[in-house]
Amino acid sequence: MLSRSAERLYWLARYLERTENIARLVSVHMNLLMDLPMGVEMGWKQLILINASEQEFYERNNVANERNIAKFLLADPTYQGSLFSSLTAARENIRTSRELLPDEAWEQVNEMYLFAKNNLDNVMNRRSRVLFLNEILKGCQRFTGLLSGYMSHNHPYRFIRLGRNIERADMTSRILDLASLLLSESRSEELRQYETILWMNILKALNALLMYRQQMHSRVKGDDVLNFLLLDTNLPRSVGCCIAAMSECINNLPNHNDLPLTIVELESYVQAIDTRQTTQAQLRSILDGLQNKLGGLHGQIAENWFLRDLAE
Amino acid sequence: MKSIWKNYKTDIAYDELMYSEFQSRPVSHRLCQYLDSLKKEDIDKRKIAAELAIMEMGISFTVYSDEGNIDRAWPFDIIPRIIDAREWRIIEKGLKQRLTALNCFISDVYSGQEFIKAGKMPSEIINSSKNFRKECVGMQPRHNVWANICGTDLVRDKDGIMYVLEDNLRVPSGVSYMLENRVITKRVFPELLQDIDILPIDDYPTHLHDMLLSIAPHQDGPVTCVVLTPGIYNSAYFEHAYLAQQMGVQLVEGNDLVVNDDDCVYMRTIEGLEKVDVIYRRIDDDFLDPEVFRKDSTLGVPGLMRAWKAGNVALANAPGAGVADDKVVYAYVPDMIRYYLNEEPILPNVPTYLCSNPDHLEYVMEHLAELVVKPANESGGYGMLVGPHATAKEVESFRQIIKNDPRNYIAQPTLSISTAPTLCKGKLEPRHIDLRPFILQGENTFVTAGGLTRVALKKGSLVVNSSQGGGSKDTWIINMEDS
Repeated sequence: MLSRSAERLYWLARYLERTENIARLVSVHMNLLMDLPMGVEMGWKQLILINASEQEFYERNNVANERNIAKFLLADPTYQGSLFSSLTAARENIRTSRELLPDEAWEQVNEMYLFAKNNLDNVMNRRSRVLFLNEILKGCQRFTGLLSGYMSHNHPYRFIRLGRNIERADMTSRILDLASLLLSESRSEELRQYETILWMNILKALNALLMYRQQMHSRVKGDDVLNFLLLDTNLPRSVGCCIAAMSECINNLPNHNDLPLTIVELESYVQAIDTRQTTQAQLRSILDGLQNKLGGLHGQIAENWFLRDLAE
Repeated sequence: MKSIWKNYKTDIAYDELMYSEFQSRPVSHRLCQYLDSLKKEDIDKRKIAAELAIMEMGISFTVYSDEGNIDRAWPFDIIPRIIDAREWRIIEKGLKQRLTALNCFISDVYSGQEFIKAGKMPSEIINSSKNFRKECVGMQPRHNVWANICGTDLVRDKDGIMYVLEDNLRVPSGVSYMLENRVITKRVFPELLQDIDILPIDDYPTHLHDMLLSIAPHQDGPVTCVVLTPGIYNSAYFEHAYLAQQMGVQLVEGNDLVVNDDDCVYMRTIEGLEKVDVIYRRIDDDFLDPEVFRKDSTLGVPGLMRAWKAGNVALANAPGAGVADDKVVYAYVPDMIRYYLNEEPILPNVPTYLCSNPDHLEYVMEHLAELVVKPANESGGYGMLVGPHATAKEVESFRQIIKNDPRNYIAQPTLSISTAPTLCKGKLEPRHIDLRPFILQGENTFVTAGGLTRVALKKGSLVVNSSQGGGSKDTWIINMEDS
């Protein structure tokens, strides 16, 4: 397998996972805000905070209202982190690696891209936004299902899986970052009343509410949720599960050099987190550390397999 | 209900499907019956379905313009073009004959030049050819075949005869559109395809792969083939990716390949370097190897010619094969067939005047406004003069261009190329078409059943190139014996 192809498939998967994550995040957030009373400190602005994109947002907009934020996160082609930009990048990557994937994979992504492109204006109002996001989520699911059913689970597949899981782990950690804000000591009495709803929505953002209930047999509590989303070994979107999936891919890829070691280190870093004993500040720094380590892992993957000169 | 055929004109040229507004040719009886059974809205619906399929399948080509490169959906007309299999078998034979002779000629040009020595062609034609590569002299590609993939353009004149317009021996494109057109037609007219005995075409990638394997430098053990593309910004990138995928081989760009000190070609993979045996290259000679050809090429692979000459890698088409893809050389193909094969040409050439020949030049100058003038080495329909359609000013400016560089121009009578019914705003209208079959030659020779029919979508236009407002049609070769 060509190094260049490996790189493109890895990025294809990252961008598609990002597309799906943004869609899910916006959709869950929209539901959450409908449940909360007017005037609590949770708002649309939180979504820009998660993506660390305040500066880019205010370069393009004056007011952080629902309309502007939805447009920015979903439809803005000039903002690299938007859903549409991610989908466009995914399409470019698959367009240049079609020879490795089943026909339907390209058609699926292309169809989704054309749909998004023709419906960008629909993200402004709530009703059509819901439909838009549903369509995107379904499209991403179809893609994943299609590959798992049609494609040999070979090296190209492993790079796709690797990209998907590193992006997923990163997004889960960002969502937990948002959660850590909810634990802040200074939160208002009013917000405290709605804590259960907030945690439920965090779980929903990762499609994990039902699984949480089955696994934990308890009501939805902050530290249990954190534990579940970081460490559970069966939930596909938990950080622990993502790392396990990456580990499997890396160990089955040729020339993996020091990468298995890095994965083991990452695994023990996550295992060592004890959510019951941490303050909000500690949690934030742990999550920061996790994101940095994921960034480091990405660098190492790229250096190991994608940089051409090293192959010689 | 108004007929979709109303006022269909068959007097401007030979029409492939119709004798007149009211009478279809035998090959198209079934099709016409079927179309008549549909409501007008149904036909529109099918057209929309086809356009949607093209968008979703992402069948596109790139147009270069001042505003940057635009990826355009492939313009497709849902009404197929039909040829009787009995006629096709003769054309097929003619195409094989032609490519065989062309390959004999290329081999000869790079070795003894017997054809020239026998006085069949002036040596200046080769000496002044842009596509003659002196680096290739003495080479002997496997099976002595230089042009492994050829796209030959055919047109039918008002006399009903199919003429060869040109042979594309460098990097002919369009075969993926031929294949995708059939996929779309199957989606759009599934009922129709069941009732008519149409020769299948989807075995092309298999034949291409077999041909590539047959030219590998070694014939024992597994062979690694790749498709070499100039990259995503090339207008035919879609096709490169499509063919690689259909053959199940890697699609590589120049910088994925490296030639080592052992003069072998390797690709950079996640497992390190892997040896490459056969390269289906879709890059022009000029850009193939900066060590030998254009130094500024970033698309090619430094050392590729070294590896090829050392016999460690096969290139299809072989470098230098383009020497026969020259509209001046074209004029000599009938003589090549007689000389090398000792046969009479099955497919006729269009009469061609060579501006380098003083007698011909004089005729061309006198009849410029009636002729089509083409540069010898361009493709894509660029730099042409269509006399009868040009203004007096354009004709005069061309006169000067030819005088300055007679070797590089040829002229041909303006053919009245055939038409086929094409859906235009809910009605059928005749539009001019050509046909590009693809011929593969390695150990064996193979011709596609039909080819890519290109159609000039603009009323009256004779230019079928997709870069200039052309579209395409599915091409059916049908067995008539049983019906």
